[in-house]
Amino acid sequence: MTGIFSLLTQRRGEPGPLAALARLISWLLVFLAVGGVFTFAFGQLQYGWNWGAIADYRQKLFNGWLTTIAISCVALFTSLVVGLAAALARRCPFLPVRYTGTLYVELIRGTPLLVQILIFFYVVADAFGIDNRYLVGVITLSLFAGAYISEIIRAGIESVGESQLESARSIGLTRGQIYRFVIFPQVARQLIPPLAGQFASIIKDSSLLSIIAVSEFTLNAQEVNAYTYSTLESYIPLAVGYLLLTLPISLASRVLERKYRYAH
Amino acid sequence: MKRLMTRIGVIGLFVCCLTAAIAAAGQEPLRVGMELAYPPFEMTDKSGSPSGISVDLAHDLGKALGRPVKIENMAFDGLIPALKTGKIDLIISSMTATEERARSIDFSEPYLQTGLCLLLKKDSPAATIGDLDRPGRTVAVKKGTTGHLYAAKNLKKARLLVLDKESAAVLEVVQGKADAFIYDQMSVYQNWQRNRATTRAILAPFQKESWAIGIRKGNEQLRRQINDFIRSYRSSGGFDRLGDRYMKEMKQEFKRLGYPFFL
Repeated sequence: MTGIFSLLTQRRGEPGPLAALARLISWLLVFLAVGGVFTFAFGQLQYGWNWGAIADYRQKLFNGWLTTIAISCVALFTSLVVGLAAALARRCPFLPVRYTGTLYVELIRGTPLLVQILIFFYVVADAFGIDNRYLVGVITLSLFAGAYISEIIRAGIESVGESQLESARSIGLTRGQIYRFVIFPQVARQLIPPLAGQFASIIKDSSLLSIIAVSEFTLNAQEVNAYTYSTLESYIPLAVGYLLLTLPISLASRVLERKYRYAH
Repeated sequence: MKRLMTRIGVIGLFVCCLTAAIAAAGQEPLRVGMELAYPPFEMTDKSGSPSGISVDLAHDLGKALGRPVKIENMAFDGLIPALKTGKIDLIISSMTATEERARSIDFSEPYLQTGLCLLLKKDSPAATIGDLDRPGRTVAVKKGTTGHLYAAKNLKKARLLVLDKESAAVLEVVQGKADAFIYDQMSVYQNWQRNRATTRAILAPFQKESWAIGIRKGNEQLRRQINDFIRSYRSSGGFDRLGDRYMKEMKQEFKRLGYPFFL
C-alpha cells in the first residue's frame, strides 16, 4: 500500500495517472495534518479576535509590504554583485585584495546584523553625511548577504577539480575564459538552491531594518499592533505576506535547476 | 472491618491532599509581567535579577496580598497579550492607563502621574508640540508608547520616525536627524542630562498621563485588593521611599526646576 506513495516505485514504472493521484493525495494528507495541528492550537486559544480593527489599516500594511519588496529586490541584485566580487577577490593572486575579501567576509559573518545596521547608520553613514536611511539600509543588507553569497560562490568555484583548471591553463585559456567556459557552466546549477535560500533570508532579514525606522512590512505590522492591540491579527498577515514573497523564489529556483540540468 | 478502616484511611488521605491543594492555591505565585528595560523602574541588577521601583512595588504588593511574587520579563508589546491569555496575572511596567488599553484589560487606580514632553535638538526653534507639526519636521517616537500613539493621531504634517529602542530615538535627535523625541518626563530628563551639548528639553507635559497596574478583565476582587493596597501604600509613604531609593538626584533637580515630581 505504501508502495503507491513511494517515489522509488514511481520512478521504476511508467508515471501513470495513479502517480498523479498519489501525489495529490500525499499533498492533501500533509496539508490536513499541518492544518489540523494549527486548527487545534488556535481552537485552544482564549482570544477575542478583532479583524475589523486591522481592516482599517490594510493600506498601511500594503505600503509596508511594497517597501519590503522594493528593498529586497534591490538588495537581491546588489548582494549578488557584492558576493561575486568578494568571491573573486578571495581567489585573487594579489594579496591585499585577497585579504580585504577575507576580512570582509569574516567581519560580516561574525557579527549580528542588528549591530551592523546600527553602526552603519548611526556611525559610518553619519560620518559621511548620508542621511537617507533607506539607502543605508539597502547597502547594509547587501553587504550582510553578500558575505554569505560570496562563500556560496567560492565553495562552488572550488568544487571544480584542480586538474580541470590546469588543463584549461595548458591549452592557453585566460583567467576570464576559465571562469566563463570551465567553471561557470559546471557550478551554475549547484549554486541555485543555496542562493535561493539566501535570497529568502534577505527578504526576511530586511525586517531588521525597522530598528532604524525604515518603514517596511514588519515595522508597519508592529505599528498596527500598537494602534489596535490586536497582536495576532497584525502578525498573521505578516507571515502570509512574507510567504507570498519567499515561495516564488523557491519555485523559481526549482525551475532554474531543471533548466540547467543538462548544461553539463 | 479492616477493609473499612483502610477505606476511611484512603478517604482521609484524599481529603488531606485536597485541603493541602486548596491551601497551596492560595499561595499560588502572583505572576507580574514587565519589560526590564526602563531603569530605574524596571531593570536588572548587576547579578541579573529584576530590580527597580516596579519590582519593589510588586513585592510589596505581594506581601500585602500574602502571595509570593514571580517577575516575568517580556517585551512591552507582549504584555497585554500575555495578560489576556493568562500567562501573567498583573502588568506593572510603567504602563499608561489609556482608553484603548482599557478596552482590552482593566486598570487599577493610577499610582503615578507624569506626562509626555519633548527632547529637542539643541538648535530647534520649537517651543511647543504645535511647532513640530509642520511639513519638513521629523519627530522620533518609541514604537508602541503613548508618545507614538499621540504622534500618530495628532501630528499629521510632520514626518514620523518609529523606532524600536529609546536609545536609537535619542541618537536621532542627538545627530540632528530628528527635530524632537516625544517621551515621558523622566526619560526626557535623563537623556537631556546625558546629552546636554546636543539637546535641550521641554519638561512641561503637553499631555498628562497616569500609570496604573494592568489586571485581566473581570477580576473585580483582585482589583479592589490592589486599589486598597495603592491607597494605603501612598498614605504610609511607600512611594516616597521608592523615589528616594531610586531617583534621589532627579527628585531634587525637578524641585529646583520647579516641576512637580511624578512619583
